[in-house]
Amino acid sequence: MDIIKGRVWIFQDNVDTDQILPGYAMAEPFNELGKYAMKGSEKVDFAKRVRVGDIIVAGKNFGCGSSREQAPVALKEAGVGSVIAASFARIFRRNAINIGMPVLEVDLREHFNEGDTISVDIAKGLIFKDNTTFYAAPLSKNALATLEAGGLIERVRKELGVEKRW
Amino acid sequence: MNIIEKHLAKAADLEKVSVGEDIRCKVRLVVAHDVTGPMAVEQFAKIKIEEVFDPQRVVMVIDHIYPASTVQARNMHWILKDFTKRYGTILYEHGQGVVHQIISENHAQNYGDIIIGADSHTCTAGGYGVIGIGVGSTEVAAAMATGTIDLEVPEVVEVNLTGSFKPFVTAKDLVLTLIGRFGTDGLTDKAILFTGPGVRGLSKDERMTVSNMGIEMGAMISFFADEDKDEGVAQTVAIELSEIIPVVACPYSPANIKPVQEVAGTEVTQVVAGSCTNGRLSDMKAIAEVLRGKHIHPDVNMIVIPASARVYEEMEKHDYCKVIRDAGAVLLNPGCGPCFGAHQGLAADRDVVVSTTNRNFPGRMGSREAKIYLASPVTAAKAAVHGRFVDPREPSGGGEN
Repeated sequence: MDIIKGRVWIFQDNVDTDQILPGYAMAEPFNELGKYAMKGSEKVDFAKRVRVGDIIVAGKNFGCGSSREQAPVALKEAGVGSVIAASFARIFRRNAINIGMPVLEVDLREHFNEGDTISVDIAKGLIFKDNTTFYAAPLSKNALATLEAGGLIERVRKELGVEKRW
Repeated sequence: MNIIEKHLAKAADLEKVSVGEDIRCKVRLVVAHDVTGPMAVEQFAKIKIEEVFDPQRVVMVIDHIYPASTVQARNMHWILKDFTKRYGTILYEHGQGVVHQIISENHAQNYGDIIIGADSHTCTAGGYGVIGIGVGSTEVAAAMATGTIDLEVPEVVEVNLTGSFKPFVTAKDLVLTLIGRFGTDGLTDKAILFTGPGVRGLSKDERMTVSNMGIEMGAMISFFADEDKDEGVAQTVAIELSEIIPVVACPYSPANIKPVQEVAGTEVTQVVAGSCTNGRLSDMKAIAEVLRGKHIHPDVNMIVIPASARVYEEMEKHDYCKVIRDAGAVLLNPGCGPCFGAHQGLAADRDVVVSTTNRNFPGRMGSREAKIYLASPVTAAKAAVHGRFVDPREPSGGGEN
């Protein structure tokens, strides 16, 4: 997996899926979801200002609430390269990995300022800023296998042997 | 092994499983709704196979935005209709009710079966002894193809219940109390196992209310066991039901729990009663009994939503519908209603909502400024009558009912 490089966006604890993608936007076409990324949060103009590769650095329980996969899809569509949080809600973490968006667990809010440029080595769980390296909890084998396949759908195709037939 | 591990081992065809182990389990049912289903359909199409693993085990329910409030919402219905026609799966498309209620009424499962659903409240099934696990759309797509799900065996936290509730205290007060105690991430990736003599006194409706909100503590599974006690659990918490008091979750978190006494007097502008948490017949009965012969406060809107058409029909057989209408409340069609902020009763900045639903995060029902309090049906109905919170146990709160 490539190294992801981008600017830091800081969010605090318990950013729930209603903040990441408000309920009213859930019926929007999937390729339009990026416009609503973080629209329910305190950073209402996030979707307009975010650039490709930017990285969300958040507190604990990121993505709590509903199971809507539209939430990580909205972040991915908006250009977010990765989310690094102190902890994730279970379903959000699985959804992000299943659509091929890497997430890492470590609390780095005190170490970064909004707008700092950092880079992330997902496979190794390392985060770099200037000359400093930070260590995240390693991803499970399962999660890495899914990310390396490019998401769960690609992984299932491989396991079912569908890729050979098409 | 505890009972949850035994069920998971059976579904994985293993003799034994242990905490943290990655296992692949067979699933009994795969479920989605009109908000998560279309993405599952799109993802399933990318797998490029001709059949789902078993059409009779794939169930979709149009409950979140029905009748459609936007053209786009109706397009989502069509995606599910087309999929159903093509693959021969099961679809509830005429407003029969909320997915978790429909599954409990129409799709009998065996004790310990696993169902996965693209809805976080799939854990509701734990209330009737089925392992319900909430997932996302892509995982539903994968399971529609394979009939399996990859899981890590969760640590189990046992909640041992004794005694019984005092009057005007309900299962909702119990689960809100637990959420206040564990926090919104206190049980992330874990399973909750309810045991003890107190379980026997709880009805299926009550158990479903409790299991439903397991996800509000981050849990993967929220399961009621037949056992009085279990072994091989990480932690046991003892709860004496007679010590539970009426509580509410204050803005803006389901874990911000206070006794109703402490918020008594707070003015209320809208009351929402229903949902997969509290939209069953016993909940509707509790509401009707508070409203009987009374009228809601002139400054309050009250919206009542049965969880299913069957619940609605039972309400008609009794006189609950008439009682609720006569009290000045509005009865909506079975479904999710305004719970998640898409339609049918959104809140503005100035609104103070008392809701029997499951979440009160900022913006959950509309404006980020609106204040949502989560409460039991009896506490909510009494707030509707008085236009402010009252302790349901107080005679002034209609406790004489």
